[in-house]
Parts: sequence; structure tokens; C-alpha cells
Amino acid sequence: MTFKTTLGSLLLGAATIGFTMPAAADQLEDIKAAGKIVTATDMHYAPFDMLNNGTYEGMTKDLFDEVAKEIGVEPVYQDIPWTAELPGLEVGKFDIVIAPVTITPERLERYSFTPPIADATVALVKAAGNDEMTAPEDIAGKTVGVQQGTAQFRQLQAYGETLGGVDVKEYGTTDEAYADLATGRLDAVAGSLPNLTYLVKNRPETFAKFEPAQFGEPTYFAWVLRREEESETLLAAIEDAMAKMTEDGRVEAIQTKWLGSYTELPATAPGQ
Amino acid sequence: MDWDVLRQYAPILLRGFGITILAWAFGTVFGMALGLVISLAQRYGARPVRWVLQAYIEVVRGTPFLVQLFVLYYGGPLVGLRLDALPAGLVGLTIYGSPYFAEIFRSGFDAVPPGQAEAARAIGMAEPAIVRRILLPLGLVSALPALVNFSIILTKETVILSVITVPELMYQVQRMSTETFRYLEANLVLALFFWGLVELISRGGRRLETRITRHLLERPGHG
Amino acid sequence: MFSIQAFLDSFGPLLWAARYTLLVSGLGIALGLVLGALVCAAALSRWRAARFVAALWVSFLRGVPLLVQLLLMYYLLPVIGINVPAIVAAVVTVGICASAYISEIWRGAIGALPPGQSEAAVAVGMNNRDLWTRIILPQAVVMSLPALVNELILLVKASSLVSLVGIMEVTRASQAQAATTFRPLEVYIAAACIYLLINLCLAGLGRYLEHRMAV
Repeated sequence: MTFKTTLGSLLLGAATIGFTMPAAADQLEDIKAAGKIVTATDMHYAPFDMLNNGTYEGMTKDLFDEVAKEIGVEPVYQDIPWTAELPGLEVGKFDIVIAPVTITPERLERYSFTPPIADATVALVKAAGNDEMTAPEDIAGKTVGVQQGTAQFRQLQAYGETLGGVDVKEYGTTDEAYADLATGRLDAVAGSLPNLTYLVKNRPETFAKFEPAQFGEPTYFAWVLRREEESETLLAAIEDAMAKMTEDGRVEAIQTKWLGSYTELPATAPGQ
Repeated sequence: MDWDVLRQYAPILLRGFGITILAWAFGTVFGMALGLVISLAQRYGARPVRWVLQAYIEVVRGTPFLVQLFVLYYGGPLVGLRLDALPAGLVGLTIYGSPYFAEIFRSGFDAVPPGQAEAARAIGMAEPAIVRRILLPLGLVSALPALVNFSIILTKETVILSVITVPELMYQVQRMSTETFRYLEANLVLALFFWGLVELISRGGRRLETRITRHLLERPGHG
Repeated sequence: MFSIQAFLDSFGPLLWAARYTLLVSGLGIALGLVLGALVCAAALSRWRAARFVAALWVSFLRGVPLLVQLLLMYYLLPVIGINVPAIVAAVVTVGICASAYISEIWRGAIGALPPGQSEAAVAVGMNNRDLWTRIILPQAVVMSLPALVNELILLVKASSLVSLVGIMEVTRASQAQAATTFRPLEVYIAAACIYLLINLCLAGLGRYLEHRMAV
């Protein structure tokens, strides 16, 4: 939404307060009729979603631009804080959440997932110059930060138990955990590999990855749709688009651009 | 509604609410005390003192609590100040509230008619006694509704402590909603707990208000 | 270490986002002042029903966090079929919430006036209208100015919550900037400078009015 259209809708205020249409049978048809697909993402989750001088960019945007092109509609990008994304999706404020969401069994019960867009397996970073810890098992007995309520949090906790105890500290976003790692209150931060790789690439003087960085079960990031009949055709259209993009090398090019390497991903959300 | 989720999370929600109340009470009491000291120092202090305090008021009042807390907690270690989450939160709330309280006290003191202090001086009352027996009691009467108003605002600022991992109500509610996706229940918990707390505070405030303004009503015709 | 460069670089995007902070808090304040006056009038009215509605309004809006009010307005109203654009939801919620605090400030100021004044005015035969416009309101408005400025400054800062409905104001823009540069401290201090600038203007205006209108 631009400032001008915002002003416009404010002036029209009353006029634009509409009543929602009764739910139609097919989301894909609605989107095609409107010519646009309304998305929501949290635009501070580098390298997937970020704002560079006010312009939205990142791996999610590159991928979704292509998906929307395949479906034949214009994507509308909105920055919505993570806490409001799934509630907003449920009441139909957006068609799809394109923030990278880790696929978990609990979430699969409530939402539909698109094919994975990236590897989300949990990994670890430490302060640069900390030679005391190198491999993931060295976090035994240490204090490790992680984002509250994430799949990575669960895995860290489970892993900590196998190591005989890790002091896990939960943060609202990983940004605060990184900040506390920089102050020295934390010994390490757990998160998904793509996020941590990007962090270390940008602040090599402050942060360093573990060797190997990853541990635990392989998991994936994907986009989220409402779990209902009318969304099924949209899901199928996205699956087709992504299969085509994987085949003609677009996915590989985008992954290499943002992550520095290519990992082949499953064609549908595992477990769905 | 999913009552099972609420029942399951009730212990941590209540513990979080306890910490919310603790943080609110601490921030209100110490913020008010600091604010009172500031407003008295501004009234009686030398010019440079007044100038420094005015700058303190404008800077602390003019910047968001989130930013202040962030600088204190994550920036403090850069200059050797390392506080744990809860102490940092309590100190932060106290500092954050103090300029607002100071301004409220200032307006309360300003509302005391100057003739009252002059009369006291004329009958030979010492300056500290004037503050204690004239300025404070009369100033408090007119400042009370605004003091209650701001301490209510302070209840809501405690949720920001969740950013530095203080396990208060917001922190626990977020944990519940990210683990269970029960957003409606989560917001209901926030609404009810805060509403209850605020009702208690404003009732207490009103009771205090009628008590300390009683003398105004009992002697009509004065003033 | 603190990077001056990162601090200075933050100002571009943050100042751009300040448009929304100004828009939402400016209109929110305007709405809050108007509604606040009405609610205050209702709270002091002779009619029991009006007083009851005002008390309920203040109690609910002060009691329930703004965050929850905003979610109700934007994400819950659609459930019953009312769909409000994000910016309208933001301004209306901020304004309504502000009205509760503002009306309490005014009610407090009016209540703190010595009752002898009104009695004296009535005794010399002043009518109700003159009593309010010449005795009560001029004094109450001046007396309430510091508390009102406090409240308006809080409102400017509370406007950061509207990012929840997808509006990119200063706080949200600084979070985004911090997440791309991984330099939160520098970015947040820059954001603090912008809020400080806006609020210094408000505080200055308040002091100017206080001196101008001093009785």
C-alpha cells in the first residue's frame, strides 16, 4: 500500500468500509477474477524477506514473483508482523502467508502448506572468536537463545535433553537473540541454516557458525494457506508452478542468488 | 473457545500475570518517587540543575520505552553495565515513568494558589514545612486523577518487557499462541487480565480521590 | 562496536516511515480530543445513562490493551462482515483509545477546581453557560495541559502498534532495518531521535500554550 492510496482510502473512509462478500466456492477463481493475490509476510527475516531502503526484496519475493506470473496474477505484498499473520489469514485478510513457516505436524493439522521453499533444519551460531565450542554437541551446559514457539525451539530442547541439559532462553524474534549473543549473555543462538548463514555473511566480525552447523531432524520452510476446500485449487496451482520452476532452473537460480548454494526440495509439503 | 488450552496454560499465565503486577507496582512506586524528587528539584534547584532535569524529562519522555529498554539491556554491556532481564526491566520502567510523574507533580504544584504559600511564609513557616504541609497535600489533590491515569498507562508498558525475555503476561500469552494457534483465547486472556487490573487501580484511585477532596466539599464557600 | 555510519544510514528509511507515524498519531489525536470532550461531558452530565455509558467507555478502553483493541477492529470485525481498510482501523482505534484517557484528564481537572468558585458565580447570578465558558473551562484547560501533553506524547509512541495491521511506521521500519543490517542498537537510537524530535515539538507547543493561557 502506498502513502497516496492510504490517504485516498482514509479520505474515502466510510465509502471503503465494505461488507465482505459471502465466501465463494473457489479461491483460485476469485484471485484470477480480481487479477491479484494478496499476501502477507514479515519483512524482517533476512534473507527471505527484507526491506532495503524501503523496498521489499529477498528470496521469498523472487520466488513468489515467479509463482504469481505462472498463475497469471499480480502479487500484492504486505508487511504484517508475524503475530498477526496466521490470525489474519484465518479471517481472510490475505490469500496466503508467504513468510517462511516451518512445516510441523501441529501446524499441518490447522493449515495447508505449499511445497517447501527452503531447508529449515536447525543450526547454531556463536560469537566470532569463541574457540571453546566448535561442534553442536559442545553446547551441553551452555545458554542458547532461540525464537519463542518455533520448530527450531522444539528441536533445540529435544537435542539439549540428549546432551544432558542446555539452558534454553526464548526470544520474541531471533533479532533479539542475536543482540544478546553479541552482548555475551548467550553462548549460542539456534535458528534455521539460511537465516544464520546470512547473518554470519553480514557480520563476520561478530558471529561465526558451528562446524557442522546443523543438528536434528531435517525440516522445511513453506508458505501457508487456509485449510479448506475452496483453497485446494490454489494449492494445486502453486504446486504446479513450483514444479515447473524447479524443472526449468528458476528455483536453482534464486536459491543460489540468496543462499549461495542449491538444495533440492520435496515437490509437496512432507506429511501433508 | 478452547477451554482445555486455557486450563493447560493457566499456571504459566498466572505466573506471568504475577510478574506483570510486580513490574507495574515497582515502576509506579519508584517512578513516582523519582518523579517527585525531580519536580521538587526543578522547583527549588539552581538554574543548571533545572536545565539538566528539563533535558532529562524531554529525552526520556520523548523516546519510546521499547528503545530505552533495548539500549539499556543490549547496549549497556558495551559500556560495562550488565543487568539481568528482570532488574533491567524494573530499572527501565522506573526511569521511563519518572518524567511523566514529574510533569504531573509540576502541574499539581502549579495549581496550588501562590497565596497559600505566601500566607504560610508570612506567619513564619519554614520552607520545608511549606512543602510538606501546604504544597504536597494541596498539589496531590489536583494531581491525583492524572497520577492514576498514568499508572494505568504504565500497566500496558509492562508488556514491552517481553522483548528482553522477562516472562510477564505478554511473554506467556505469546508462548501459548505460538504453540497452540489459539489467537482468540490469547487476546481474551490479555484483555481480561489487564481489564481486571486496570479496574482495580482506577477504583482505588477514585476512592482515594473522594477521600482527599472531602475537605473541599465539607467547607463550601472557601477557595 | 557502535557504528556511526549504520546510525546515519538509518535515517533515510526511518524518516520516510515517519509520515505514517505523523498521519496516524495526528489524526488519532484530533479524533481523541473531540471524542474525549464528548465523553467527559457525558461523564459529568446529569443523566444517569450518559454517565454509565461514559464510565463503561473509559473502563473498557483504558482496561483492554491497545494491541487487543486493534486486533479486534481489524481482524475480528471481518468475522461479522465489517471490513475496514487498515489505515482507517488504525486511526479510529488510536483515536477511540485516546479519548478515554483524555476525558479522564479533563474530568480530573474540572473536579479539582474549588467548588466555591462555581457557587460564587451562581450566587452573583451567572448563568450556566457563562459559568462553564468563563469560569470552569478556561481554568480546567490550562490546568490539564501538562497531563494532556504527557498523554499526546504517549499517543505518538503508541502509534507504533499500528504496524500490526500492515502500516510501516517508524518503529516497524526500524525493526526491518535492524533485521537487514543486524545493527539494532544504531537503528533504534536513530528511531529514538525521530520520536524525540516529534515529541519536543509537542512539548514545546504545550509549554507555549501554558504560558499564553496562564491565568
